[in-house]
Amino acid sequence: MSAATLAAEQVALTIGQQADKTYAVVTRGLTKRFGKRLAVDGLDLAIPAGSISGFVGQNGAGKTTTIRMLLGLIRPTAGSGTVLGQALGHARAYLARVGALIEGPTFYPTLSGRENLVVLARLGGVENRKVDEVLERVGLGPRGLDPFRTYSLGMRQRLGIAAALLPDPELLVLDEPTNGLDPHGIAEIRAMLRSFADEGMTVFVSSHLLAEIQQVCEHLVVIDAGRLLFQGGVEELLAARAPELVVRTECGEDARRLLLLVRGTGRTVQIVGERAGTTLEIAADCSWAGDLNRLAMSEGITLVHLSERRSTLEEAFFEITGGCAKEGASREARVRKGLVDPALCAKDEVEQVAGP
Amino acid sequence: MLRAFESEWIKMRRRRLWFGSYGAITGVVLLTTIVTIAGAIHRPDRQGDLTIAQLAHASGLSQGIAQSGVLLGAVSFSIAAAQFGGEFAHGTLRNLLVRQPRRTVMMGGKCLAVLTFLIGAVVVATIVSICAAFAMAHLRGVPTGAWTSGDGMAQLGIALGDLAISTCGFAIVGMILGVLLRSSVIAIAAGLALLLPIETILTDAIPGTVRWLPGQLLEAIAQGGSSGAPFGAALITVSAYLAGLVAITMLVFVRRDVTA
Repeated sequence: MSAATLAAEQVALTIGQQADKTYAVVTRGLTKRFGKRLAVDGLDLAIPAGSISGFVGQNGAGKTTTIRMLLGLIRPTAGSGTVLGQALGHARAYLARVGALIEGPTFYPTLSGRENLVVLARLGGVENRKVDEVLERVGLGPRGLDPFRTYSLGMRQRLGIAAALLPDPELLVLDEPTNGLDPHGIAEIRAMLRSFADEGMTVFVSSHLLAEIQQVCEHLVVIDAGRLLFQGGVEELLAARAPELVVRTECGEDARRLLLLVRGTGRTVQIVGERAGTTLEIAADCSWAGDLNRLAMSEGITLVHLSERRSTLEEAFFEITGGCAKEGASREARVRKGLVDPALCAKDEVEQVAGP
Repeated sequence: MLRAFESEWIKMRRRRLWFGSYGAITGVVLLTTIVTIAGAIHRPDRQGDLTIAQLAHASGLSQGIAQSGVLLGAVSFSIAAAQFGGEFAHGTLRNLLVRQPRRTVMMGGKCLAVLTFLIGAVVVATIVSICAAFAMAHLRGVPTGAWTSGDGMAQLGIALGDLAISTCGFAIVGMILGVLLRSSVIAIAAGLALLLPIETILTDAIPGTVRWLPGQLLEAIAQGGSSGAPFGAALITVSAYLAGLVAITMLVFVRRDVTA
């Protein structure tokens, strides 16, 4: 180990000790290169202790590589960090307090669920009674003696979570715990995650299901191509995106007239592709709804629908990732979803993405 | 390391693995014992033929056991390669390393468990083959008085020890290939190809290579030494090979990223 690396680890350790109570995970410039491919590029993470943090990014964004580096399975090419106040390079110092489910549940198919957990419990010096406790906790108690190969995907995911709970972890790292689950299974996992956080665990969960992340997480990390795009509160991310008033008129002609009227007030407005061009999206919050209604009435336009719409995490995600790596991705995604009529309002859409 | 050892033994207690491995090893030793005694002749046609008179000596009981070295080695090699390569192929290694991040400790405990499992199998196989040997001796009219003498028991103990050393050697080669190749199928295929046909061809084609080829040396150890490779020399050479290979494997295993 070079002197520079040692120094970086020392600094990281000091930061980690100071931030131990505030952040469960801190990284500085965490980088991993596989040959010519840069999988993780200078990642600066700060995962608040006691929070449920979502970790999102497209396939191949570097989420699993990052998680593996945090768990000591992959050596970082550069960078430093701490997990639970201990330097990243010394996984043995903190892994006894960390539970993890990495890239789906993998167990020995011919062993029962319980035996699989006993293998891990014995290896980690965990008592056998804890095995039964975690099996009950994830609802696998009655099926614990069945071979793993007979488990459904949902049961396998739950066994993976049970394995992660074995050491009574302070930090729980779950990589795609809802992968392949039906809505009922997803809701169960969601409830579980909340209960873990209620007990004071820090939960760091990666998922493709952005709606799930929005429902369960208070903190969010977004990465793309190995680089950090956003880190902070979910509400903070959504609040940064201006709300929209969604208005529907009786006919397309009224919609086009209203478009010109609203533009006259200096607001960004667009006709979107829903309902034959009668729907408008206006960059304004509900406090302007009364004025809008009066404006429409004064011109004899009847509004058949008026509501405020806030950005979803999915939209925010598309905007963040599209804005960084692929210029038109956001617009394309929204067009694909039928939210935007590209022929009518391409210019307005770009303006809206850019923000007022 | 004790935790890793105990943890591995929980896996080794699987009924299918137990019956499969112990059954295969017992079958191999039993088969060679029966074939050896059944093939003994009264008057030798050529040099090297085993005679009934030779079987009646104190070392007669262990003749069949000693002949099972290569086949037993192939079975042991495959079991060990499957145990180690399978952890990579199934993706279970990452779970183990999260619970035991000291990779050398984890690997050491696992290795010890596999070796004790195989030694147990060799002992069971030997006991079964002893029973078979007495039955076969009765059928072939081989006097067994010397077998149960003190010298006979000592010879049996030495044969069992030699076979256990040879089995462990083959198993360690299996573990090494399992870890380096990260796949049980590739490790078994490559290992068996090297240890059986390739080494046999090389031995036949190039005189003297029996002293340097690991599979041939391990076979010689199982037989208590051979004309081409005396026991002591074979043991020293194999030990040197294995020590070097284990050190390299450990280094690779400790430093390599776990992406499976």
